[in-house]
Amino acid sequence: MTAREVVERIRKNVGIPWNEQSYRDTFKLGNPDAPITGIATTMMTTFGMLKRAHEQGLNMIVSHEDTWWNDRDDTKDLTDIPLYKMKRDFVLNNGMVLWRMHDHMHAMRPDYTVVGSLRSVGVKGGENATMRPGILPIPETTLGEFASRAKHLSGIRAFRCVGDPKAKVKNVLLGPGYATPRMTPEADLVIGGEQQEADGGFDNVEYVRDANALGIPKGLIMLGHVASEEPGMEDLAKWLGTFISGVPIRFVPAGEPFWT
Amino acid sequence: MGTPFLSRRDFALIAGTAASAAGVRAQAGSGATSVVDRILRELGGEAPASTADGFKAGDPNGAVSGIATTAMATVEVLRQAVKAKTNLVLTYEPVFFSRADRPATPGGRGPGGLDREDPVYRAKKKFIEDSGLIVYRFHDRWQARRQNDMVTGLAGALGWKGHQVNGSDGLFDIPVATAEQVVTGIRTRLKLNGGLRAIGDRTARIRRVLLHPGSMTTATMWTRYTEADLIVAGEVREWENTHFAADLFTAGEKHGLVTIGRVVSEDPGMRLCSTWIQSVLREFPARHFDAGDAYWRAV
Repeated sequence: MTAREVVERIRKNVGIPWNEQSYRDTFKLGNPDAPITGIATTMMTTFGMLKRAHEQGLNMIVSHEDTWWNDRDDTKDLTDIPLYKMKRDFVLNNGMVLWRMHDHMHAMRPDYTVVGSLRSVGVKGGENATMRPGILPIPETTLGEFASRAKHLSGIRAFRCVGDPKAKVKNVLLGPGYATPRMTPEADLVIGGEQQEADGGFDNVEYVRDANALGIPKGLIMLGHVASEEPGMEDLAKWLGTFISGVPIRFVPAGEPFWT
Repeated sequence: MGTPFLSRRDFALIAGTAASAAGVRAQAGSGATSVVDRILRELGGEAPASTADGFKAGDPNGAVSGIATTAMATVEVLRQAVKAKTNLVLTYEPVFFSRADRPATPGGRGPGGLDREDPVYRAKKKFIEDSGLIVYRFHDRWQARRQNDMVTGLAGALGWKGHQVNGSDGLFDIPVATAEQVVTGIRTRLKLNGGLRAIGDRTARIRRVLLHPGSMTTATMWTRYTEADLIVAGEVREWENTHFAADLFTAGEKHGLVTIGRVVSEDPGMRLCSTWIQSVLREFPARHFDAGDAYWRAV
């Protein structure tokens, strides 16, 4: 089987019309027509992840995020950077092939990134969630207790919280990756991956700080972009296994890049 | 307008050259619009064609009792400004939770915006108005003329004043230490709680640091990472700079990245802004209030 044949099967099974305009969900590097030895799903094609996939004998990468440190995987300004050459040569010399699956995952029903993220932090009821699941109620708890439990359940080490740890929370809005939802009057806990801190479309950090200062209990948890979408890529590997056989399919984590 | 007799510019010229402190306060020209005009005239430069700067809350013609600067006019910062009787607040970042800095117009761009009935928006706006505060966003003009203050302010807060590499825009040669030691120092100096995140080799020897307050683009990182052992930035995008720094680490390259938080990285530069304002507008007290680190970690 070739990587191109894998993508053909994904197109047949994705359950939604294929978006031919997507600049994200395309081959990024390597030969799509060479035989594959195995498939690694991952949140982001980091150099470390590529090495781990190669060690496991998996030469096709299905990655949710970019390879070349920008959303369009534009390489025109990178050609003189030694790291670019090193990473590119590693892929080509080891017969690997990189394909990205981003836009179609967020359009799928369910959106595995949302399903996985909700599950990882212990929010129930999101098993069939789509990109914007709306408010999910949880048993009332405090922000601090929720965050401690989420840390324990998910194993994420470096997530950041904003708001009074004693704030009572029971209505969750979650959006993984950069799709951190705007806090609304109806929600009291927003969980996201990452978001511009200020001067953006909606500045959750400041809003949640001020809400608490004004006596309106709210909380914000930023899991980190990679950490928030990794569980979904684990789910994607299982989904691929429902219509692809004959090669190993494994989730290979990019891993949290942060020290603590 | 601040005064019925003089244009804002005329008044600014008079106030900037001859008026005594008592004289200025006695005049209607001590209104916030006139004071801001004076600050802008002293600063020089031009507003960019598209700017987010401007009055965002309170009465632009209200009398000014003093000037407060901050990286971000949070409710906590605003309360300190009230206590200090510095009612004209110059904020580097928005006061109302987005670049638009105001509720979305009905029928506008829909769910992304701030609702005009939003309880947090209403309560914050009411607090500002009831307290007689006047909030002005002072970002583009300040940055255009005094970006170096944003850098040297941060360096000063980190204890690296005087360590700037001659002629550089943000490079500092600091006492040699491991990345881990430098990061510990940054955390302590800036009183960081949960906002700092570091990527790279903890044991790397750090001598040269690139300071980049605010938001750093991925292109800046690609073109500048070789200049420094460690980049200290406000914020980056995790699929861009953070990804790049993680790959550098995998490749065994000794170039680390530390993000300290966008607002936290801008507080020290705005402290220098208040010092500068005090030097050109001596008749008003000028104070700075840190917005500080909003983040904490779960235990």
